[in-house]
Amino acid sequence: MGLSRLRYLGVAALTLALLAGCGGTAAPPAKVYNIGLVTDIGGLNDKSFNYLANLGLERAKAEFKFKSSVIESKSGDDYVPNLTNFASKNYDLVIAVGFLMQQAVGTVSGQFPNVHFAIIDGAGTDAKFNDLKHSNVQSLYFKEQDAGAMVGALAGLLEKQGKAVKNKHVIGAVGGISIPPVDHYIAGYKWAALQYDPMVKVLIGYSNDFQDPAKCKGVATNQIAGNADILFQVAGGCGLGVLQAAGQAHVYSIGVDADQKDADPSVIASALKKVDVSTYTAIKNVVTGNFQGGALTFSIANDGAGYAIDNFPGGLPADIKTELDSFAAKIKAGTLTPPADIPK
Amino acid sequence: MAASLLASMRRIARGMAVPVGSVIFAFVVGGVIVAVTGGDPFAAYQGLVCGGFGLICSGGENPALQLSNAIVFTTPLLMTGVAVALPFRAGLFNIGAEGQLLVGSIACVAIGTQFSTLPAPILLPMVLLGGALAGAFWAGIAGVLKATVGAHEVVTTIMLNYVAQWLMRFLIVGGPLQAPHGFSASASIGSGARLPTLLPQDNSLIIFGLPSSVFRVHAGLFIALAAVALFAFVLWRTPLGYEIRATGQSQRAARYAGVSVPRTIIVTMLIAGAFAGLSGAVQIAGVDHNLTDKYFSDTTGFDAIAVTLLGLGSGVGIILAAILFGALHAGGAVMQSDAGISGNLVLVLQALILFSIAANFLSTLKFRIPRLSRAP
Repeated sequence: MGLSRLRYLGVAALTLALLAGCGGTAAPPAKVYNIGLVTDIGGLNDKSFNYLANLGLERAKAEFKFKSSVIESKSGDDYVPNLTNFASKNYDLVIAVGFLMQQAVGTVSGQFPNVHFAIIDGAGTDAKFNDLKHSNVQSLYFKEQDAGAMVGALAGLLEKQGKAVKNKHVIGAVGGISIPPVDHYIAGYKWAALQYDPMVKVLIGYSNDFQDPAKCKGVATNQIAGNADILFQVAGGCGLGVLQAAGQAHVYSIGVDADQKDADPSVIASALKKVDVSTYTAIKNVVTGNFQGGALTFSIANDGAGYAIDNFPGGLPADIKTELDSFAAKIKAGTLTPPADIPK
Repeated sequence: MAASLLASMRRIARGMAVPVGSVIFAFVVGGVIVAVTGGDPFAAYQGLVCGGFGLICSGGENPALQLSNAIVFTTPLLMTGVAVALPFRAGLFNIGAEGQLLVGSIACVAIGTQFSTLPAPILLPMVLLGGALAGAFWAGIAGVLKATVGAHEVVTTIMLNYVAQWLMRFLIVGGPLQAPHGFSASASIGSGARLPTLLPQDNSLIIFGLPSSVFRVHAGLFIALAAVALFAFVLWRTPLGYEIRATGQSQRAARYAGVSVPRTIIVTMLIAGAFAGLSGAVQIAGVDHNLTDKYFSDTTGFDAIAVTLLGLGSGVGIILAAILFGALHAGGAVMQSDAGISGNLVLVLQALILFSIAANFLSTLKFRIPRLSRAP
């Protein structure tokens, strides 16, 4: 009895409070945006794409104050349901991290033409990986060759000046699978290394894998046996094996996508793909009403690609640092254009 | 009459005590883990129930969509559950359902892309049968090795899982099944090889408030349910089922009763592999239509072991356990988006369920040990 009376009192109080609230706010509330992020199977703690994408989401959230939600995909079976989850709730933007989700984004974006989608490193495609060109899908691409060129320039300079380990003018690159993003990195790397050291030989190998470090370690070991003393990994989780192999053989390695200096002491530099910048930009476009379907490309010119070089033993010599700065400035200005295809 | 009904009900209740207790135990411990790590267990479980069964949703989810997703996840668990349960009844532990599923999906894709122009009445049976045969062959290897040279099926099936995984990797990464464009995926099977979905795949038709193409439940569900029914029928109503159960309870007694134990082992593994291979073919024909790198990390065949143990190897039990695991899989995403609890909690719950069932096995072992020690 007493409890129910209390409840009535509570309802009355709540009604009053609501009425008061209505009286207080004259202007209609601003639209609250809903942004959803779906990771690939790497999960949020992958220290790479998913982690960076979430970082960009958090940064945008602090600035634009919207509601956000993240779902980590546990398996490839989850991509479609997870994207559909956000889309069916009429989210304003659904971000898919990684090219593994291309087909899923193609399917779901066709079902929900009024929901905006953004996908890192890919497009909304059919099963044959043809871009469906849905007007509600924004592709966030990167000029990996820009970042690849920066670390390639570093490798070339070190070989030229004899500051590497063996100094036999041999460097290596280990790719996961020969797909465009991987080959772009390697293209820029080889091109820039040759710019600075025309004598350099660039060994290129593929592990046909993005997960298993053992496979990449095997490829890396072969390259080290071929006198390579700077190894660039372009193979995601598999590539950690490259960094380890370099560490065990006491040669240098170069990380990819995120700054990987914590992964192994052999890492002297990393080629950066700033997924956080691209995610932030995609969100900003939506909340400011500037969303456009099609491709958005991130490069050194718009700070969407870059390089980290702060882990060279004893610090990088000042002249190399200056040279890299001017090299980056030339790419930024467009006087130098790293190629997208691996030079012969 | 009433008494016998009461007795059978009591028997069922006693049988269900262990699995139901395990699930309750898992959810209580999981709830404590959520609470200790600063989350709200009730919000977490509300998300799970919403995502798994389409009930009590708070985040604006569409109940029909959630139910449809859960059924899609449940379907392969039913068939692979049978693939683990049947050998289990014969005293064999089939850890290889995953590998058998993979070769089934490979066969389905190989046939479905090679003969992609054939009409559905010919091609669909071909891909499903091809998947079943491939799975049977894969499990048959382990069965023959067990029956002839006594190689333990746990070891051989685990190893065959790796062979299947790497075979698939070879085939779609630079191998003969790879689609053009240099991706780690195969081409799509022809339209005649695809299982129909229950609702039309039409983006403009609105059903339950959403485009009907988002509902992915496909005819494979009925194949899966028929597979479980067939399993129960074979096990309890046929001479083969008797031989399987006899072999499982005591090989020596079975031999004395005139059962050919090696033959039973081989036949059991062949049938089990066929179910797992069919499951892989149905997954391709009903949902994915092509092999992609997601199959590298597929775990259906391993989840099936948990489904079988939780379902106590019975037909009804497998259905109930598969529904639970399918619902958990589908619910994890909603739990994360609505309650902000990592979807990894689902893996914790599955592990806890398995753990407590295994612990129950231990307790029956313990009962036996003192009796042995008391013997003169």
